Amino acid sequence: MTALYDELRPVSAEQHYRITHFLNYEYRLLDDERFDDWLALMHEDIHYWMPGIENRRRENLLEHGFYAADHMAFFDDRLRDLGRRVARFQQPSAWAENPATRNVHQLTNVEVYYGETDGEFIVYSTFQSVRSRGLDEEYVIYGRRQDLIVADGDRFKIKKRLILIPNATLTCKNINTFL
Amino acid sequence: MGNIIKTLDVTDSLTGLKDVCDLENGRIAGKIFYDQAIYEQELEKVFARCWLFVAHESQIPNTGDYITTTMGEDEVIVIRQKSGGIKVFLNACPHRGNKVCFAESGSTRGFICNYHGWSFNVEGNLVGQHESGVYEDSNFDKSKWGLKEVAKVDSYKGLVFATFDPEAPTLKEYLGPIAWYMDALFDNQEGGTEFVGGCIRSTYECNWKIAAENFVGDILHAGWTHDSAARAMLGGAVAKVSDFEESYSVNWNGHGYEFALDTVGNVAVLGESALNKYLHTIKPSVAERLGDFRSNMIGSVSSCTIFPNFSFLPGQNTVRVWQPRGPNKMELFTWVVVNKSAPEEVKEKWRKGAMMTFSPTGVFEMDDGENWEYCTKTAKGRVTAQQDLFVGLGMDSLLTETPLPGNVYEGQLNEANSRAFYQYWYDMLNSRSWSEVPNRNVGKPEAE
Amino acid sequence: MEVIEKVFLCKVSELAENQVKKIDNAEFGDIAVYNLGGHYYATADLCTHATASLAEGDIEDDMITCPVHWGQFHIPTGKAQGFPCEIDLRTYPVEIEGDEIFALIEADPALIAKG
Repeated sequence: MTALYDELRPVSAEQHYRITHFLNYEYRLLDDERFDDWLALMHEDIHYWMPGIENRRRENLLEHGFYAADHMAFFDDRLRDLGRRVARFQQPSAWAENPATRNVHQLTNVEVYYGETDGEFIVYSTFQSVRSRGLDEEYVIYGRRQDLIVADGDRFKIKKRLILIPNATLTCKNINTFL
Repeated sequence: MGNIIKTLDVTDSLTGLKDVCDLENGRIAGKIFYDQAIYEQELEKVFARCWLFVAHESQIPNTGDYITTTMGEDEVIVIRQKSGGIKVFLNACPHRGNKVCFAESGSTRGFICNYHGWSFNVEGNLVGQHESGVYEDSNFDKSKWGLKEVAKVDSYKGLVFATFDPEAPTLKEYLGPIAWYMDALFDNQEGGTEFVGGCIRSTYECNWKIAAENFVGDILHAGWTHDSAARAMLGGAVAKVSDFEESYSVNWNGHGYEFALDTVGNVAVLGESALNKYLHTIKPSVAERLGDFRSNMIGSVSSCTIFPNFSFLPGQNTVRVWQPRGPNKMELFTWVVVNKSAPEEVKEKWRKGAMMTFSPTGVFEMDDGENWEYCTKTAKGRVTAQQDLFVGLGMDSLLTETPLPGNVYEGQLNEANSRAFYQYWYDMLNSRSWSEVPNRNVGKPEAE
Repeated sequence: MEVIEKVFLCKVSELAENQVKKIDNAEFGDIAVYNLGGHYYATADLCTHATASLAEGDIEDDMITCPVHWGQFHIPTGKAQGFPCEIDLRTYPVEIEGDEIFALIEADPALIAKG
């Protein structure tokens, strides 16, 4: 469950702009396949989590409703794990990446609030990830996101990312990108 | 009783199947991956007849615990009974056919249809309806209108299977000697195994047989297909399978298990040394329990498919069902299996390790998907679909003097299991009943 | 309210704690008798929604859940508490004499459940 407005402290328009800009920049790096630069935006304690979504009745909900921390996930990564995924993308033998997958990542509904400690920001957003491969393949993933962003000098790093898709069955075969 | 399921009338076999599935000559053709008429025969003669994996016992420990899944394209509910047993019902109300359970798992007193309020208890019996009086006025016999129960349910080492066909052999006969090999993963410690919570599902534009066959006996692809993943996870190439001194391909009734005896070759790709260590730690007790031979298989380079669509990888501990959704579409259901007695941190590392390697985001699975989809899609071409595809490796590799059970072939780099898989598929499609299915097993039915 | 009949239900020893038992009664309708932690209650056995014997349902705290559509009634008061049950259940005062449990049927025909 996400927080209500009264429980949150919205940041200034300028801060909102800077963080939105940062997140848009992050997505552009992914669209450009600049994975090392993307990885450098992750905090050393990053928890990058995309739980599996379970279609359960309201009276049988899990720890977090549709998902639970100890259940199966799409991503439940630390920096080492993200690095391994990036390493695979970069192998010349990553056959399913040649020809390349063409990506468009879009971020919308961005809300930015102050976090619990100085220099921490809570960001709620929604995204669309469109991928195309070959001549005619197209896969779209929609979702909601909750990030914990921390100030790093005059830049930012991503310390936590929670990605929630609405689908209990992924409508495509894989997620060969980050969301 | 009215709750017993009606079986299908068997339709005639297709003509010309031999042209696209000729295993004596080591060839198949892409048509078997793309043809609608063949697919419809599969739903009837494979999925409505064979034993299909439906659940792990650990997913439904208590009375009323259920999961929903499919047997072929038929939706079913798998539910724990008060007696401790497990029942499997069609997930369809016997009034207008509406789905009675829309959730994938949970715990319940029963199922109430959203349409007219028909209510079924855990045993599947119809216990009432909304406006029950009008049914009483029509002399309605409630006892005849429960949820339809599948013909047979049985389990092996925690794995629950069901079949729609009352004439099917017993699960034990069906699995035959492959069960002995399965113990290397599913019975290597006291207390057996359990599934990690959840199920990850994804959708492939491929024929289910391509994937099932990949696990039945195709380690050959790993060194090439998965080079990128191995380098990412291990910092080097996949182990060269042809260097193994001893490895086997074993099959029976279309099931196949290919394996080396290197103990940790599969688990190593998870890149978690704690898991290698765990397997080495339990290995002596596995040897006591199952013998030295199978203690070498607990996480070795290996894979298995139980015909038609249940597969697993020891070591990566991924367990999966390739659900048919049309000739060129498949839903993949995956779970993670762990030893119940394993320390929590070991279970947690397997949960994440299977995700990192064999899941929709897994670095290994990433390169499988595109291969499987295009093995299917090329057969869209009428000419292409008729062309011979080679499955002829290891034609003369049968071992006749081995103490091992099953049809045992020398070496993992061998298409013997793939041929046996397609042969059994061919035989099922050509048989009007179980008694017509030819017995092509040549090895020992049991371990000595 | 005038008590018109005192109906024998069962023996105390026949009704374990947190159990419910159906007592056939053609005249006033079947009666469900409950033992909630040593306190005894009686209600009509027939659910007010669909044809169902509440004695086949499960007791949760002081609620009985109908086995058919899982609506609930508050056992001490008969109050309908959960969808789809909207009509309250008739309750009967209970009397214990030695080892025997009785329901007191009061003369209020509007409340008498149909058998």
